[in-house]
Amino acid sequence: MRKFKFVEMAFMALMLAASMAACSDDNEEPVVEPEPEPEVQVKHRYELSVCPVKHGGMSMNKNGTFVRSVEALTADQPMVEFNGKGLEITNKYTMESITKGKYHYQVPESKDRFVKFSIEVDAAGNELVKLAQERPFVKNEFPARKYTHAWIDKGETLVLVATDGDHKKVFYSKLKESDLSIIEEGDLNIPIPEGFGSLSTSGILTYREKSNDLVYFYIGKDKETGGMTDAATSNLFVAIIDPATMAVKSNEVIDYSLAEESAASAYGELMQNTVMYDEDGNLYLAGMVTRDGAECGSLLKMKAGAKNVEQYNGFPEPEGKLLTIQYLGNNKALAYSRDNSLGTKIDSPSHFYSIIDLTTGKRERVKFNGTDLPYCSGRFSQRSVVVDGKAYIGVANQKDLTAGVYIYDIKTGNVEKGIDLQSGFCFDIIRVVDAE
Amino acid sequence: MMKQGIVSLLLLVCMYLGVYAQNSHSLTGVVKDTAGEPVIGAAVAIKNTPTGCYTNEQGRYRLSVSSGEYVLVVSMMGYEPQERKVKVTSSLRIDFVLKEDAVSLESVHVYGKSKAQQLREGAYAVNAMNIKPLINTTQSLNAIVNKTTGVRVREEGGVGSDFDLSINGMSGNSIRYFLDGMPLDTKGTGVTLANLPTNIIDRIEIFKGVIPAYLGSDALGGAINVITNQQKRNFLDASYSIGSFHTHQVDLNAQYVEPKTGVIIKPVFSVNYSKNDYKMKNVQIRNAEGTEFITTDRRRFHDDYLSLFGQMEVGVTDQSWADAFFVSASLSKIDKELQTGSTQSWVYGMAERNTKSANVSARYNKSDFLLDDLNVSASLSHTWDHSETVDTTYRKYFWDGSYINGHHSEVRGRARSWRHYKRPMTIVRSNVEYKLNDAHSLNFNYLLNRTGNKQYDEVDDSYVPTNDVLMKHIIGLSYNQSLFDGKMNNVLFVKDYINHLKVEQTELSSITGSDEVKSSNTESYWGYGIGTRYTWASPFALKASYEHSVRLPISRELLGNGSTIYPNIALRPESSENFNVGVFGTLSLGRTHQLYYEVNGFVRLVDDYIQATVLDQEGMMQYENVDAVHIKGIEGEIRYDWADKLGLMFNASYQDSRNQQKYLASGALSATYKNRTPNKPWTFINAEASYTFHQVFLPDSKLRVAYDYQWVHWFYLTWEAYGSAQTKPRIPSQHISNASLLYSWKNDKYNLSLECTNLFDKLTYDNYMLQKPGRAFFAKFRVFIH
Repeated sequence: MRKFKFVEMAFMALMLAASMAACSDDNEEPVVEPEPEPEVQVKHRYELSVCPVKHGGMSMNKNGTFVRSVEALTADQPMVEFNGKGLEITNKYTMESITKGKYHYQVPESKDRFVKFSIEVDAAGNELVKLAQERPFVKNEFPARKYTHAWIDKGETLVLVATDGDHKKVFYSKLKESDLSIIEEGDLNIPIPEGFGSLSTSGILTYREKSNDLVYFYIGKDKETGGMTDAATSNLFVAIIDPATMAVKSNEVIDYSLAEESAASAYGELMQNTVMYDEDGNLYLAGMVTRDGAECGSLLKMKAGAKNVEQYNGFPEPEGKLLTIQYLGNNKALAYSRDNSLGTKIDSPSHFYSIIDLTTGKRERVKFNGTDLPYCSGRFSQRSVVVDGKAYIGVANQKDLTAGVYIYDIKTGNVEKGIDLQSGFCFDIIRVVDAE
Repeated sequence: MMKQGIVSLLLLVCMYLGVYAQNSHSLTGVVKDTAGEPVIGAAVAIKNTPTGCYTNEQGRYRLSVSSGEYVLVVSMMGYEPQERKVKVTSSLRIDFVLKEDAVSLESVHVYGKSKAQQLREGAYAVNAMNIKPLINTTQSLNAIVNKTTGVRVREEGGVGSDFDLSINGMSGNSIRYFLDGMPLDTKGTGVTLANLPTNIIDRIEIFKGVIPAYLGSDALGGAINVITNQQKRNFLDASYSIGSFHTHQVDLNAQYVEPKTGVIIKPVFSVNYSKNDYKMKNVQIRNAEGTEFITTDRRRFHDDYLSLFGQMEVGVTDQSWADAFFVSASLSKIDKELQTGSTQSWVYGMAERNTKSANVSARYNKSDFLLDDLNVSASLSHTWDHSETVDTTYRKYFWDGSYINGHHSEVRGRARSWRHYKRPMTIVRSNVEYKLNDAHSLNFNYLLNRTGNKQYDEVDDSYVPTNDVLMKHIIGLSYNQSLFDGKMNNVLFVKDYINHLKVEQTELSSITGSDEVKSSNTESYWGYGIGTRYTWASPFALKASYEHSVRLPISRELLGNGSTIYPNIALRPESSENFNVGVFGTLSLGRTHQLYYEVNGFVRLVDDYIQATVLDQEGMMQYENVDAVHIKGIEGEIRYDWADKLGLMFNASYQDSRNQQKYLASGALSATYKNRTPNKPWTFINAEASYTFHQVFLPDSKLRVAYDYQWVHWFYLTWEAYGSAQTKPRIPSQHISNASLLYSWKNDKYNLSLECTNLFDKLTYDNYMLQKPGRAFFAKFRVFIH
């Protein structure tokens, strides 16, 4: 549309110039041609996912997952509606995905392949899946949703890591980004912590660019009880892995007082961001500690090149569990966390956004017009993205409130109202992808 | 235009009723034996017409006919049939005395107004089907009930596959199954309508929404009661059928009456086997290099199904102390390979589910017990039931049977498991009926159901075994009245559901609710209902019924499964307000033409629906009460019979089920409030035509050709209002045609049937991405010696 506008404008300008030239006197001052309107290139698209009835994430959502792709999240955009609109990915693709550039990468619902696809919008405005590549499993078989990932080789190789059904070993596959061909598969030398019977479901894998290594966080469990009773867990461990050989270079235990587990131990970062890096390459991990029997958040810091986290308290006096973190720049981060006193269920409207000063640990709730953004439901939600100096923060609707997006300007700290969403859905994800 | 049409139709019906009322006469009488005892269940019919009925418990019959000359035929197994010419100009009373026929037993024709039809014409909303004409076919009970109004059976695959049966839009645990009034579970959890041998069955009663108190059921949406044959003479009924996909079935059903003692021995034996290797169309397999997927057709390779059922019943009838007293023992064994998960993209190659059960039971009934007109029946049953799900292989299969050695089990996607479920069940049922007089009676029913639920895992040592017990007492009292010479029939009933739960676990009380209820807890819930039917004349009757029904939570919902489902001890029962209203009638058009019609409307207002919900903890679920659904619908059936030759049937059902959950947990008005409930078929029709040729090739023979057609409107897997239509997963429309040819000779002694299902080899689905079999052929040979 914008391109067409530009062409139209350019054509009009050309015609105007031509007509002026035709009527002009050669002696007159040369006509200064108006500067053509710069082409507004849409660099990104935003994909918003909602679920009816209950929040999605994890694996049991039978109500459907609907995705809309929009050019911008600003208030001047029309409301995002789902009546007869939106891509439904139910039973084919999972809402948990790895997103890079314009593509999504995942093990789909069929649980027999890797896929790479993009969400395109056709001329009628309908979102459609465009499958770029799919590859059958060759040796390693990954469960849908329960794996962790990292990009290495400047984004040309995708490393996937998961544990087996017994949770006794950790295995990996390396995939070539361009065609999803399998480069290498094998097992990681990650032992079950002494005194424990199994490993966490997937753990968290991340790539440290500064030191060119992979960092893997995991825990041991006393016994995989399926959750009926809380199994005793080991301390959180951190292993440093050589991305070329996948050899474990170090494996250290993390101080129990800093974190008992990572915030997400089962689903990697397929949906929620729990790892971030600052400008110096320091790694931050959302962790979990127990305070008075309740799950609470902690924020760990690991210096670039270090083998273990440092003594750091980036999330002091937590109200509840820390769920997602995203680095904003200037030593600030956006956090999505829970206030346990307002409810601890997936759908409890007890979750909120705050800005953390990583130096002092001081945090302040994100405000619009001086008022805190409302509490939201959605334990397994990732409704915020950071792009082009702005953080787009989605809020799930509550009684008398519509769902929508607020835009936080990282430089100024200003918050403005963004796009609205049709009310009545559980708003779960905002993803940003590259436009064509 | 439409209004005018409706008015014209009403006028036409009224005119017809007026004319019919003027020409209609009653033929009544009593049928007795030579000892003066009433003959119960004798067929009284107008010869060469479908008009007929059966005598009631007093031996009485009643027929409505127009003026003319007829031959009245009375027949009953074990008696010489009688014929009598009558000229009808006004209402007549004609009595019969039947002589016993000790030499041979003639088969009894089934006339239009069977017991099934009598039940249909009662106060309850019910589909009642006479199974006798269908015994010679290879159809399972599932296939048979699937052709009736308001019922949908959604099968996941071929023979022995899991299925979901819905009645007026309600399914799953909302529907209860009975065999002669006892819960069908008593024969074992693996014994279902899919594998119960048809040749032991006389008829099926499908109660919709309003369930008689005598069934002692906590069904929310309906009940299916399968009534077995209760013939009193010797017979041998044996059949073998063979069909596509390596399907074989052997049924044996016999009865021997020991002449000296009168002891009756009734053995039943049934084997059902199928490889189910039907072709799966357009499935994906890996190319030779294993690097790409290609789309092709492949046969199912891991779907063997074997069911064995054996039963021996021994007893006596017509004793001074008992009208009938039987003890029985049965065994069942079902072995089933699992081919797919909930969609066909999840291919399994090793997983299986097996069930074995044993049952002992006794039943007793006596009329005029202690008092005249006091009828008592009692049953006692105990079942040992042991099922297992074997999921011990770490493999990922593809449709060509190839696999890779994976890291997770096939079914659960977790660690290897070999899960055992032991569910011992004890049922005590007693029913007392007292006839105050010919028009009024009381019925009291008591049912005790004690079900254990012991679970353990043979290979997964992390699984915490459970051993729970759930006890239900269901007490029902109903009052029946028949007024205006049988033109009006009313029933009122009240039920008390008592749930007793003993739970020892108290951990995680904030999640399981164990702090909200006592560890030993008894709760009582009340249900009640009313039904009425008024017949103006044979062609027009009105019936209406209502029930406040309650379904108690099952043990899995209350107590979890010890691994992935948390208990919710504070769970409340589901309840529903069920309303039915319908009109029906039989139009006799001349002597040999008969038209039966019925139209029913229904409403179901379900509350406190028990629904599985996901919890914060990884992979954990819990059942909870939520606002539920409101279902409204209309359905109708029309049947035409010409003599004993042509039969036509058409029925259609429409159900509108709307979600009633108004708010999201966050407090916002839910987008799905009042939306159509997803993944439920809502419009479907069935049509059937058959023609019977008599005396073809051999004497006393008949040849029946039949064709039936089923259509189901497509429906969405999820909420229909949201998402663009082109990306929404949907279950496509089904157009299924079946044809059959049945030849019987020597008065049904020998029967041969040839059938073709899915005649046009359509790709059909009942569930999302679970292909059903394509065209299949079956042949069955049955011998019925009596």
